[in-house]
Amino acid sequence: MFEYNFHWRPVLKSLPDLLQAGLLTLEVAVISMLIGITIGLCLALMRMKLNGPLKWFAVSWIEVARNTPVLFQLFFFGFGLGAAGINLPPYVIIVTGLSFNCAGYLAENFRGGFQAVPDTQMNAARCLGMNGWQTYTRIIIPQVFRIVYHPITNQMVWAVLMSSLGMMIGFRELSGETQFFASRTFRIFEYFAVTAVIYYVIVKLILGLSRLLSARLFRY
Amino acid sequence: MKKTITCLLSAALLATTPVKADTLDNVVDRGELRCGVVLDFPPIGYRDASNNPAGFDVDYCKDLAKALEVEAKIIPVTWSERLPIIATGRADVVFGATSDSLARARTVGFSIPYAIYFAQGVVNTDVEINSFEDMRGKRVAAALGTVPEQEWLKIAKEWGEEDLYQSYQSENEVFLAVSQGKADIGITTNTAVKPITGQFKTLKEGPRMPWTADYTSIVGKRMDVTWLNYLNLFVTHQVRSGRYDELWGKYVGDNVPELRIPGVMY
Repeated sequence: MFEYNFHWRPVLKSLPDLLQAGLLTLEVAVISMLIGITIGLCLALMRMKLNGPLKWFAVSWIEVARNTPVLFQLFFFGFGLGAAGINLPPYVIIVTGLSFNCAGYLAENFRGGFQAVPDTQMNAARCLGMNGWQTYTRIIIPQVFRIVYHPITNQMVWAVLMSSLGMMIGFRELSGETQFFASRTFRIFEYFAVTAVIYYVIVKLILGLSRLLSARLFRY
Repeated sequence: MKKTITCLLSAALLATTPVKADTLDNVVDRGELRCGVVLDFPPIGYRDASNNPAGFDVDYCKDLAKALEVEAKIIPVTWSERLPIIATGRADVVFGATSDSLARARTVGFSIPYAIYFAQGVVNTDVEINSFEDMRGKRVAAALGTVPEQEWLKIAKEWGEEDLYQSYQSENEVFLAVSQGKADIGITTNTAVKPITGQFKTLKEGPRMPWTADYTSIVGKRMDVTWLNYLNLFVTHQVRSGRYDELWGKYVGDNVPELRIPGVMY
């Protein structure tokens, strides 16, 4: 039977610290996404357009990133590399781990996006005298981004929520900070309830901003 | 005749009227004592070669069950599960090296102290840290939300070295981080130092931390005073019967800590 009296005052007192940690969570997620988008785009093109070792490098990355747990990937960058004498600080581990994971998922989104752009677009651009770089940067990729915009938003939400695993490798983001305060007072239910609300607000902010951005970027 | 009937009726009524049962009654009725035990804390709580729970805390749970004449059920818990498992009623007590801080005592109930620990460092063999002062400028690690973490952060703040601090989810990760060279020294309890330095070749014993001893208590529901009273009595009986000395000697070694605090009357 649940016998517990809720006390919210300790949580409210540490709210500024929790919000600060929330900003750190957002920062890590945004940086990981920016890196993930750049690498994901390259991986998708490598998988589709190239042959040989580079193609298999891209395929291996995508397979590992998509088919193993994020926690495993974070432990690999934290303690796995540590065993080989490469010691990364917790901030770098979480950004590297999330970027690795996001790049794998986003590469497949981009591949779908590329395949959804008709070949005739490429032919038309080349007929107009554009070279390969111009065709991709001015014609194909803008259309791909329009197609994969919503899956990217989803991935951004995923990155925010997955950053909570940072506390497993010693990174004090929102969840880590919550656990720190909760174990001092044992007011675990209250702290995690407030943290859940902060996560919810962060995700809603991201979704709202992405909607505003899409209305501005993708209007005809 | 009337009197006899009245007496019988009253007796029947008393026998059937439910009295508000506490944990003590529930445990005795159930025939099973559910103990939350942290098994990430050798030699106090760990899994033996056959993967069975073992250690000082596990034996304390079994002793309590024996005193109550019920079966003991060990529920493995992490550090952060020690409060929820009590609040949600999944366990009757927690044996988990829980420091009896006044802040925590506003949320859960504590027995009188049943074990005392000192904070001590485990150091990477490539690092020279022989005294507490040698820790200046070094990368220090501890488990998230533990008393050593809270105490160290006060000192790190004083020294302006908070940036050099690393916190990990469990002590296992602290030891791994120090053995890999991610951190120079990990702060743990004196009881864990020997088994861990024996296990990792890249770890050695470090200095003792300057803060006071860590008094730990058995955790129960805060409102359940009769249950907490019973736990207090159990702790005193363990000492009086010599069982405390025996188990501490078995799992930790000699130098059994004195549970009494000079000048304090329990």
